[in-house]
Amino acid sequence: MNSMAEPPCIEIQHLNHRYKSSQENTLNNISLNIKNNDVFGLLGPNGAGKTTLISILCGIIPATSGDITYYQDGEPISESERRNIIGFVPQEYAFYQELTPRQNLDYFGAMYNLSKTKLKSRREELLDVLGLTKAADKKVGTFSGGMKRRVNLAIGIIHEPEILFLDEPTVGVDVQSKNAIIRYLQEINRLGTTIIYTSHHMSEAEEFCKNIALIDHGKVIADGELTGLKAKHEVPSLQSLFIKMTGEEYRD
Amino acid sequence: MFKIFSSLRKEFLLLINDKVGLALMFLMPLLLVFIITVIQDSAYKMVNENQIPILVVNHDQGKEGEKLVALLSESGLFKIDLQNSLRQKSLKSELLSRGKMVALYIPEVFTAGLESNAGDVSQILMDDLGLEYDSSDTKKIAMPALSFYNDPVLQENYSFSIMGIIQSYMGVIENGLMIERMYASMDIGDKSAKLKDKMISNRVKINQILASNNNSTAIPNSTQHNVPAWTIFAMFFMVVSLGSNIVKERVSGSFLRLKTMPTTFMLVMFSKMSVYVVVAVLQVTLTFSMGIWVLPRLGLPKLTIPSDFIAFAAVVFISSMAAVSYALLIGSIARTEQQANGFGAISIIIFGAIGGILVPTFVMPGFMQFAGNFSPLHWCLEGFYVLFLKGGSWQELRYVFSFLGVFILICQLTTYFKLRLERII
Repeated sequence: MNSMAEPPCIEIQHLNHRYKSSQENTLNNISLNIKNNDVFGLLGPNGAGKTTLISILCGIIPATSGDITYYQDGEPISESERRNIIGFVPQEYAFYQELTPRQNLDYFGAMYNLSKTKLKSRREELLDVLGLTKAADKKVGTFSGGMKRRVNLAIGIIHEPEILFLDEPTVGVDVQSKNAIIRYLQEINRLGTTIIYTSHHMSEAEEFCKNIALIDHGKVIADGELTGLKAKHEVPSLQSLFIKMTGEEYRD
Repeated sequence: MFKIFSSLRKEFLLLINDKVGLALMFLMPLLLVFIITVIQDSAYKMVNENQIPILVVNHDQGKEGEKLVALLSESGLFKIDLQNSLRQKSLKSELLSRGKMVALYIPEVFTAGLESNAGDVSQILMDDLGLEYDSSDTKKIAMPALSFYNDPVLQENYSFSIMGIIQSYMGVIENGLMIERMYASMDIGDKSAKLKDKMISNRVKINQILASNNNSTAIPNSTQHNVPAWTIFAMFFMVVSLGSNIVKERVSGSFLRLKTMPTTFMLVMFSKMSVYVVVAVLQVTLTFSMGIWVLPRLGLPKLTIPSDFIAFAAVVFISSMAAVSYALLIGSIARTEQQANGFGAISIIIFGAIGGILVPTFVMPGFMQFAGNFSPLHWCLEGFYVLFLKGGSWQELRYVFSFLGVFILICQLTTYFKLRLERII
């Protein structure tokens, strides 16, 4: 468990999930506390349950049992209030490939209830920061993987969310795009955004995350402050910790 | 309001970026209306307006053969190509080589046979009346037979119609001959003309009346059928654009992303439906404008718009809603764009075929006419038929609205539950 000294952002208690078609639980008795302004890494091998957990936290799928409480300024908030403060960047390119980045941002920004003026300024700011201004009026379908990832990210943060969920935000992109994305995420975290993040890149996660939870077979096998965990398990890196905790066998 | 505007704008942008979908929805109906109307109009004119080209070979030694040819010619129904020099044996090949569909051969003994038969009838009558008559001319000739040739491609009912017309003129000739013969037997041959005229002029006439409720003079023609029929077909073809659009949003995760946002999925569906209902209205406007202003310039019949504009608008709206709802359904159940496009397009062609778009339902066998009741396209077309050809009222349209209402409800509910099942809603 994480330290309770910091004000909580998300409190997860005894969370279980099972898909209707499955005989086994995807998530087993997950309990985690994620602090405000944290960069929290949900790490684990393929099929560990990371994406399922993020989907539940974002409200895409319901949990089979257990509780999740969101806090704003130390007070619990409702589901509808939660929708206003979270941002979600899925692993898939969840936008319209036939539209331009501007048109995509205009649409999703409006869905986040941004005013026309606010949306316009925020849109141009993001296009600039993420290096998309020159391609802002070209169809996203013609973009490289790295550019599409940046568009995907821009949509998730257009409304300046207090909590940002990122599911493999840098998968399949070149080093330049990955660095640009991570730099920008570090910047918004410095400005107060809590980030919950999944990745297979251990070096990236080690550089980026403050706290982590290692998940395997739907269970939390280790969680806490990254430096402390490495010291506790006497390993030099997150990758060593990951291998030590999850083994070297192939995963489906 | 800005949210609704943005959602509508997104749907509009997706639509205008779908060039194939736009071509299918706007270009296809224009081409179909034009091509099919031209084709069907020629067939329609061949039966109703043009003269029937017929090759006639008259080898009759008497005058009745000429009389039959004259009667056929005076009827105005036939364009006669008289070729008496041809032999009967070569008539088949001549018929095909001259591009005629039908030919009539009048044999040498035509008049002689008819006169012999008229003599027999006259003798029976004179015997029955106990009157004396001149029985010196006793040479018997069998009743003659006309030979009717037709191209095998000619529809059977069309051939029977032509033979019926010839048979009708033969009745006039035979009756005339019998009257002449009977009057001659009674030595009052000069008085037969009055009875012949009376018999011919007193034949029962058939008045053709259109079964329309408002005494409309709109006559069913190729334009009145094809313009609404192919417009409905094109409306339902929006399944290719809207259906694949929904599949893409489901598969890409855009719908799921929306689920994390402070918005309702109903807004997405409302926007899609609104944009595509407007598309359907534009389709109607485009093709109907073609029927009113372009087709008449090409020598085709003009489209007559119904007088009850509100009923017309209601039929257009409910047809649009049926097409949009069907596209939503296909978009929600198809797993890939290919499935949505393939199944969507083929199902519309099948619905169109059994619904009377391609071929009118009344020419179909009974079980297919029954099956047609399950095609939404049939009921949409029926709505336009009630308005255009039958001058129908709201009362007449109640079955149309009932069926389409149920169809829309089923499609919308199935879409809702399917998306619920996928946790999108």
